[in-house]
Amino acid sequence: MPVTDAHRTVDAVWKLESARIVAGLTRMVHDVGAAEELAQDALVAALEQWPEKGVPDNPGAWLMAIAKRRAVDRIRRSRNLERKHELIAHGMERGTGPEPEPDGDDVLRLLFVTCHPVLATAERVALTLRLVAGLTTEEIARAFLTGEARIAQRVAAAKRTLAEQGVGFELPSGAELSERLSSVLGVVYLVFNEGYTATSGEGLTRPGLCLEALRLGRTLAELVPDEAEAHGLVALMELQQARAGARTGPSGELLRLDEQNRGRWDPLLIRRGFAAMLRARDAGGPPGPYTLQAAIAVCHAGAATAEDTDWERIAVLYDLLAERLPTPVVLLNRAVAVGRARGPAEGLALVDVLADDPALRDYHLLPGVRGDLLLLLGREGEAGREFLRAAALAGNAVERAFLLGRAETVAGPRPEGPTLGSLSRDFLGRPDLDAATVRSYGQTLGRLCRSLGEDLPAADLDAGAVARVFAAAWGEAAPRTWNRHRSAVRSFGAWAGLEGLDTGLGRRAEARTGAPPLDPAQLALLWDGEGRALRERVLWRLLHESGAGVGAVLALNVEDLDLEDRRARSGGSWVHWRSGTARLLPRLVAGRERGPLFLADRRPGPARRPAEADLCPVTGRGRLSYPRAEYLFKQAGRELDPAGEGYTLRRLKG
Amino acid sequence: MRFLMTTKPSDTAADENLYTEMAAFVEELTASGVLLATGGLEPGGLRLTSAGGEITVTDGPFTEAREVVAGFALVEVRSREEALEVARRFRRIVGDGESVVQQVFGP
Repeated sequence: MPVTDAHRTVDAVWKLESARIVAGLTRMVHDVGAAEELAQDALVAALEQWPEKGVPDNPGAWLMAIAKRRAVDRIRRSRNLERKHELIAHGMERGTGPEPEPDGDDVLRLLFVTCHPVLATAERVALTLRLVAGLTTEEIARAFLTGEARIAQRVAAAKRTLAEQGVGFELPSGAELSERLSSVLGVVYLVFNEGYTATSGEGLTRPGLCLEALRLGRTLAELVPDEAEAHGLVALMELQQARAGARTGPSGELLRLDEQNRGRWDPLLIRRGFAAMLRARDAGGPPGPYTLQAAIAVCHAGAATAEDTDWERIAVLYDLLAERLPTPVVLLNRAVAVGRARGPAEGLALVDVLADDPALRDYHLLPGVRGDLLLLLGREGEAGREFLRAAALAGNAVERAFLLGRAETVAGPRPEGPTLGSLSRDFLGRPDLDAATVRSYGQTLGRLCRSLGEDLPAADLDAGAVARVFAAAWGEAAPRTWNRHRSAVRSFGAWAGLEGLDTGLGRRAEARTGAPPLDPAQLALLWDGEGRALRERVLWRLLHESGAGVGAVLALNVEDLDLEDRRARSGGSWVHWRSGTARLLPRLVAGRERGPLFLADRRPGPARRPAEADLCPVTGRGRLSYPRAEYLFKQAGRELDPAGEGYTLRRLKG
Repeated sequence: MRFLMTTKPSDTAADENLYTEMAAFVEELTASGVLLATGGLEPGGLRLTSAGGEITVTDGPFTEAREVVAGFALVEVRSREEALEVARRFRRIVGDGESVVQQVFGP
């Protein structure tokens, strides 16, 4: 067999078998990271042997056998037994004799681990696709239109967290079971949704992700046959997927549910959805959120034509769903159903309540729905504006085109006179504003335009609307941020002759405390992290130990250092350090006698040659810049920061 | 990607063992969401031919029984290789004979 064919066969076998193999290995070694490594070893062996000897009769069992053998080898090799290895060996001994074959429960346990609540959501998704669905990091990255490094980082962070928190491989029970199960269901549905309506990019869907989610869901439902919600989720996904082929028209444009050709709905998936729904009902109990959403999907799937849709029943189901799961998106959909069942005015009232919710601030469907309801009420001008606003917010090209099309068909007479958008552009285009001010004001006005619509006639712009946008956008922001945007509005209002535009915006007192310093555990992880360069380790420790400003520390020269007394002169003051820096400094200095202490990675290009004082006389490299140092620290901190953003160097000050 | 796997009738008689293995295989593929539909087909059946607007219906069995399909499976997989792997496992269970795997386009 040619090597490339073997490669593809190994890949196919792996994707079909990975869940069971990794799950079986995890039961042996109690660590998903180690289990995955062992499985990877087995894959390498397959790539070496299959091209010559052919694919074995039972490739899954072959891979499992090799991986188990590697596990035993590994334990024998590592004679300096750490506690963890002892545990592994112990587990292996207990399991001697015929190793029980991996069973479905192992896969279920694995799912509970990869979707564990101690992990961040993005980590759960990445780890589940990696270990249970058997996708490579590259495939996951492509599916989510992100970098491979980022996915690899998420997977690594997830494995580390699981190991640190000592997450076990037992099946949860009782109250914990339902919490853990809902986390698994959440991950599966998130993958499905990302595939069903891609949040970014050119294409509307990424069918691969939908398929992965369907598979995961179907597998899960078989593993927990008594859990109604697992079947509910499967029913929901099957029914939504059944419509996938009918959601776009001949030129790729998005079609609304009532415009779709129902003959193109996939009857096979509809039948599967109905069957899953029956299983959910048989499992009993009050219907949960997924089952309720599936019931709504059943109403649509069961209607032969759009006119036959039982909106009254759908509105009732949404009322129930809104009690169980009052997320902004559910509430918005409920408003749509209520609008259909009980009249557009009632629907619009529900939407307007939601308009102030910060979570829906940039959700393009909100103005989209509002536009629909306004249109039904005959308020065409407003409807057109809402569609334009929705189009500006949509992240997906197909949806954007659809919304622009809607706006065009209803566009009433263009508003006369200046609009919010035209005034904003004129205001920002004034020659007397400097670049920084333009950028700052631009943020404020851009937000107003996105939230209120660029085409809003200036005459309709009132302080109440501005105050609502502010509350939703910056209500939780730092006082400084709030005040900055507030002064932008004041300046804009004064310029445009719209006095009192800021009457709803009080000035906020600015506290002088910044973000708290990092705690010792985080610091240790930062400087002892794998693969950290010496330069970074010295810089970060020095900043931490000295409490000096970042600029002052980067300005240090080798000739300023007083290694004996652990201090250096920077400008007019002294920078002092302690033992951590002192230990590392000599290695960084490395025999240099003068020039910048912290050097850039490369020599500067001829066009950007810095001053002589900022060049190393030995290597010709320039001084490490503040932005570069800040960037490197942000990158390193990203893994530790629960928000995934990393930290600024200032946070190092002890 | 969906693939239709069709299988031609074979001479080997099915024994108890084959039925058990096959049941387990079908169960496993259904559980993992790969197998969407499967079934066996009657030998013979009806044949319809249209020529010049005229439709002729013929009752089976037909002489070229070898070309007839005896069973099918509709699977949903990530790639052609995966479809092939599933079919390979199927063939290993049923023994000598012939199957055809074709990608399904649409709906």
